[in-house]
Amino acid sequence: MSSVTTDGQHNIGYLCTRGQCEAGRSDRVALRFITPSLERHDYTFADLDGLTNRFANALATLGFGKGDMFFTFLPKAVPQFVAFLGALKLEVVAGTLFSNFGEEAILDRLGDASAKGVITKKSFVKKIAAVRDRMPALRWIIVIDSDRHLADDILSYDRLMAESSHEFTVPRTSPDTPAILHYTSGSTGKPKGVLHVHRAVLSHTATAAGVLGLRQNDVYWCTADQGWVTGTSYGIVGPWNLGVTQIQFAGSYNPESWFRILDEERVNVWYTAPTALRMLMREEPDFYSRFSLPSLRTIFSVGEPLNPEVIAWIRRTFSRDIFDTWFQTETGAIMIANRPGQEIRPGAMGKPVDGIEAAIVSDEGDPVADTVTGNLCVRAGWPSMFVTYLNNPEVYAGKFKNGWYYSGDKAYRDPDGYFWFVGRSDDVINTAGHLISPFEIESTLLEIEEVAEAGVVGVPDEILFEKVVAFVALHRKYGYSQELELKIRLYVTHKLSSVATPHDVVFVEDIPKNKSGKIMRRVLKARYLGTDAGDISTLEV
Amino acid sequence: MEIMEILNGIFREVFDDGGLIIKRETTADDIDDWDSLSHLNLVIAVEMKFGVKFALGELQSLKNVGDMADLIDRKLKKK
Repeated sequence: MSSVTTDGQHNIGYLCTRGQCEAGRSDRVALRFITPSLERHDYTFADLDGLTNRFANALATLGFGKGDMFFTFLPKAVPQFVAFLGALKLEVVAGTLFSNFGEEAILDRLGDASAKGVITKKSFVKKIAAVRDRMPALRWIIVIDSDRHLADDILSYDRLMAESSHEFTVPRTSPDTPAILHYTSGSTGKPKGVLHVHRAVLSHTATAAGVLGLRQNDVYWCTADQGWVTGTSYGIVGPWNLGVTQIQFAGSYNPESWFRILDEERVNVWYTAPTALRMLMREEPDFYSRFSLPSLRTIFSVGEPLNPEVIAWIRRTFSRDIFDTWFQTETGAIMIANRPGQEIRPGAMGKPVDGIEAAIVSDEGDPVADTVTGNLCVRAGWPSMFVTYLNNPEVYAGKFKNGWYYSGDKAYRDPDGYFWFVGRSDDVINTAGHLISPFEIESTLLEIEEVAEAGVVGVPDEILFEKVVAFVALHRKYGYSQELELKIRLYVTHKLSSVATPHDVVFVEDIPKNKSGKIMRRVLKARYLGTDAGDISTLEV
Repeated sequence: MEIMEILNGIFREVFDDGGLIIKRETTADDIDDWDSLSHLNLVIAVEMKFGVKFALGELQSLKNVGDMADLIDRKLKKK
């Protein structure tokens, strides 16, 4: 398999488009974009090169240059891919936002990054406008669904593209040049901007080939949204730098559509998430007998631990294996994985990928013995390692000790070298593969007039891995009503996102806190699950 | 007020879009923010505003807004 990293050119935008053309793949389909009604639109690598050149020129005309921040804020749409790679060609940093983000979530990201521009659609402009006065650096909004400019600073993508040249000379980009920005949630504070450099393409490509096993002429489908790291590392960069045809489906979750795509598009490699698989498990077995999946070679999973039940179901239903992979926004690329040719131990994360040293390390920075639970760490220095948390160097520095990157996950290693996930070392909630900060939700809940106190926890869920549960205590003059519950849910959805919206809202008299005022989420979780809360000696009563 | 008219108001509130116009054939693919989680908000709002309750199986079989309106109509007639 030939990947392209030519003559020291590390520019991701170049490598995924022009580089492929120069390797003789101009006419190969790069992007097969499938609409919700399953109409197919193909774009070759030559098409992608021309479109991304136009977008790079458009940004340059608007005054963008190296190091400026530009975001995509779109549901699945062709311009999302064009804008992402076009910005990178110009050495502009490309950030991506999940399309369901509400106005506070947008502010926390575009504002923190001092974004200079964003590409979106008309119906989303309202969310940006609601917080725009708090984002003074934001100069340009580009909309993909208008054939005319809507204001001096709200411009039409179509018109910009039509007025821009399809030729652009990509600068020779050093590996240390900032490239991709994603935001990730922690258990405290605002979301943090995780910055990667163009060198990351080396890890994306190596793992797309070495773990996902992508081969030239493959058709590959990664179902992840481009708002998250999987959607960029393995839904854009790695596969295209290998010259692989990628499916992108604009529709929502729908078993019929998904399996028609896998079948009719002859997908060879499918990369998806455990939540989706657990939802698919609910279909009647007869449903799957209609699909022969003639070309499907391997299925991979990412986002949450893959339960053994899913592995067994895949084997039973499709006579194939499924391989779990582990990585994070910060790692940028797969670090630990199960892969073909390696015995699958159901429930295990797998083994470190080539070139990656992973270990279970104590809080003091020393590796611990096999089978002992500790901090899951990776030896610092791999190509796609994040280079900073934007505007937050102290927190970044705190993630490293004795040359180890601390992932925040707890795990253990068995004597054969397999890693086993145990849990998070913080209160971050993993719901359907999205990491959610309880602090962000609690802060948002406290903005609601009726809410006096709030505590948010993640509790196990058979479909979502964890679901968000909010405990709220109301001011004395207010009481529970169904209307208030709906108001609370919608407020979180509109301010943050639907993924942050509590599945359950539990109304309580007060929120348990320790003597220093910290919310005792452990106690809330135990209360919800009806289990023992353990040591509550520090509980303020 | 017609069921579709009330539903339109609910959709506008749930999806925070005062200009949203739904039709019987509208599906989740037509509304950007309509995912499985916002669907939960929608169900709660519909149950509350119409005073009806949905069973899980009933909702899975709904293909579009028209199906939802018909289901609400049937439930209201049974009340």
